[in-house]
Amino acid sequence: MKFPIPNLARPSRRAFGAAAVAAALVAGIGAPRAEAQQVEHPEGFNPDEWVVVASVINTTNPYMISNIEGAEAMSEALGIPLEIVNSNNSSQTSISSIYAILASGKKPIMFVNTVASSDAPTIVDAVRQAGGYVTIWWNKPDEYKPQDVGDNFVAFQKHPGVDSGRCGAQALGEALGGEGNVIMLPGVQDSTTSKTRVAGFRAEMSESYPGITILEERPSNWDPQLGARNAKDLIVKYGDQIDGVWSADDGMQIGAMQSFENAGMLEDVKFASDGLYPKTLEDIISGRGDNAIVGETFHRGYMASAIGLYTAYLAASGQIVPSELEDDKRESFFKLSCVTPENYEQYLQYDEEGAPAEFVERLIESGPWDTEPVPLVGGGVEELPQG
Amino acid sequence: MADAAQSGGGGTRAAGPRTAPRHGGAPFARLFGATTGPVGLISALVVLILVFSVLNPRFASVENLQNVLFQVSVPLILVVGATLVIQMGSIDLSVEGIMGAAGMAWILLSPNTRLAIDLGVWAWAVGLGVGLGLGLLTGLIYAKLKVPSFVVSLGTWYVGLGIAILLYGNSSLPSLTSDALERWPTALTLGLPNSFWLAVAVLAAGVLISNHTRFGRGLMAIGNNEPIARGSGMPVDLYKVAAFAIAGLLCGLAGILATMQLGSGSTDIGFGQLFIVIPAAVIGGTALSGGEGGMMRSTLGVFLLIILNNGLVLAGVDPDYQSGVFGLLLLVAIIAVAWPGRDRLKVAK
Repeated sequence: MKFPIPNLARPSRRAFGAAAVAAALVAGIGAPRAEAQQVEHPEGFNPDEWVVVASVINTTNPYMISNIEGAEAMSEALGIPLEIVNSNNSSQTSISSIYAILASGKKPIMFVNTVASSDAPTIVDAVRQAGGYVTIWWNKPDEYKPQDVGDNFVAFQKHPGVDSGRCGAQALGEALGGEGNVIMLPGVQDSTTSKTRVAGFRAEMSESYPGITILEERPSNWDPQLGARNAKDLIVKYGDQIDGVWSADDGMQIGAMQSFENAGMLEDVKFASDGLYPKTLEDIISGRGDNAIVGETFHRGYMASAIGLYTAYLAASGQIVPSELEDDKRESFFKLSCVTPENYEQYLQYDEEGAPAEFVERLIESGPWDTEPVPLVGGGVEELPQG
Repeated sequence: MADAAQSGGGGTRAAGPRTAPRHGGAPFARLFGATTGPVGLISALVVLILVFSVLNPRFASVENLQNVLFQVSVPLILVVGATLVIQMGSIDLSVEGIMGAAGMAWILLSPNTRLAIDLGVWAWAVGLGVGLGLGLLTGLIYAKLKVPSFVVSLGTWYVGLGIAILLYGNSSLPSLTSDALERWPTALTLGLPNSFWLAVAVLAAGVLISNHTRFGRGLMAIGNNEPIARGSGMPVDLYKVAAFAIAGLLCGLAGILATMQLGSGSTDIGFGQLFIVIPAAVIGGTALSGGEGGMMRSTLGVFLLIILNNGLVLAGVDPDYQSGVFGLLLLVAIIAVAWPGRDRLKVAK
């Protein structure tokens, strides 16, 4: 399976970090993590009893790499060692690796980017038995609520998919002047993330841009190549009727744009998607295909993991009692920003060197629900609008 | 599977050599490696093409022909290697991993957004070398250590994927910055896309090797009955290693071509290809037990699968039904393919 939400990776930071640790070891100095510690733990909380754990779907998707960077920054700030679980796209691997870490005897402060919704209950149960605290991102069964499970399942958090779809529809609708035909490339058809984005796109189009017709929807499994192939087939089918293309993530958009470029149509069609990949950012900056990309959304993997881990830490250290929190802090939606060629520059700062550490610093100051550019904006189970 | 049957020498297969493929018929049949030719397969294809053309006239357009040929090129290159391996009764599962490793090695050494480096022809040499090396590794372990190819190639799949992941590192997606390289696969020569011509060249070489060399006939003989092939003095181990090496090399080439087609590198550039290539070979009549089938028939199998997908999109089949309809049509096509040879293919298991 592939995961939808991509983003900018800051690998050089990790590479640099690894090199620095190696250099310190060679020099026999050692590099105690506590030096970077920013958090003063409350009385009675012994950090030696805890371990920070971040479970990601794989370690090749840029979004997952960014998740790891956020966890690294948070682990440093808390002065608690970090364990990464690489699920290798498999629920089984994810769950068995988490069991292995729990067996080490330390209590986990955990962030999990679940491979499948159905993994959530098993993982939460294991963490609860180990006396740890967990926050889950992106996927869980709708009816499985932290409020019903107890304090160890601190929160479920995500960015709303409906908003993502609406962003894309607004960008395309405006760029086409409210008239024309578009095609849609959803991700894996039955994934919640894809479904919510598709529903948001369709709803916004029918509410605000009735002059725009959706010609066809072809799920492309978050796969750039399938995106390219489906786009090519749809080019053959509809030819120059197509005025706009919406993809549920940038990976598929990269493939689709390649097909339109190959067909000599890139300059006549507008594109909108989710994630603001580095490649997408380059294309926006360079104005590729007569400014073909008109809309994107902004959110970053390091922000998700840092928010998730910090919320879990606050519960672990007794600074919040989850059962006393409002519902929207247990099932939470964090802000997703619409990016356009006019405003993309204000988001560049979040991809600069050291951005994850800087974000963590602000997060600790403002708390998990009030940190720009991703404050809490709502909660509950995401309802699909009718489009 | 076939490997076990070979090493154990048991079961019905060792009881005597099966009927060897007959090449004595008309040139057409000779090309397809059977006396009758793949009548069922060709009829299935023709019916599909007719039905899809009626459902959407654009299906039969020149533009869609170019589109289909473009999409066919990567699996076509792969199926040539896969057919060689399957003919000798083995299987190569490492396709997707090798594609990832070779494609990633190639793009990182070609003009790309990540590294300011352009090794030109050496990038090709390294990419293809990675494929060849992994293929050799599979072949050597299989032939010399007698480990079933199913297991060995599963291992090399992950070794390839591991190499791709290491090369990918934690950095951003590498994209081609050379317009010439990016456009090459779709650019037309004599009205057909270059990537298809590349696949045709590979296919021609494959047919030549398979039908007209001692090596090609040797692979078929190994698939038919390895002890007899060995007894007749054939360098069986060498042939086995060579078949996997060629398959690896072609996976490398396919990985590079797929990367060029996408314009960006990806560790899973080969995603899903294995499940086009192996069914295509089998639909074409290449028996997984070895000793049967041919390049051209596998080629028809590839066309069948790609056209089926393309046609369903053009016919506007609802995405909710597409997988189901695809499976159903595939079943019908397979029955049509197997019908003419049902007596010969009578299988009890």
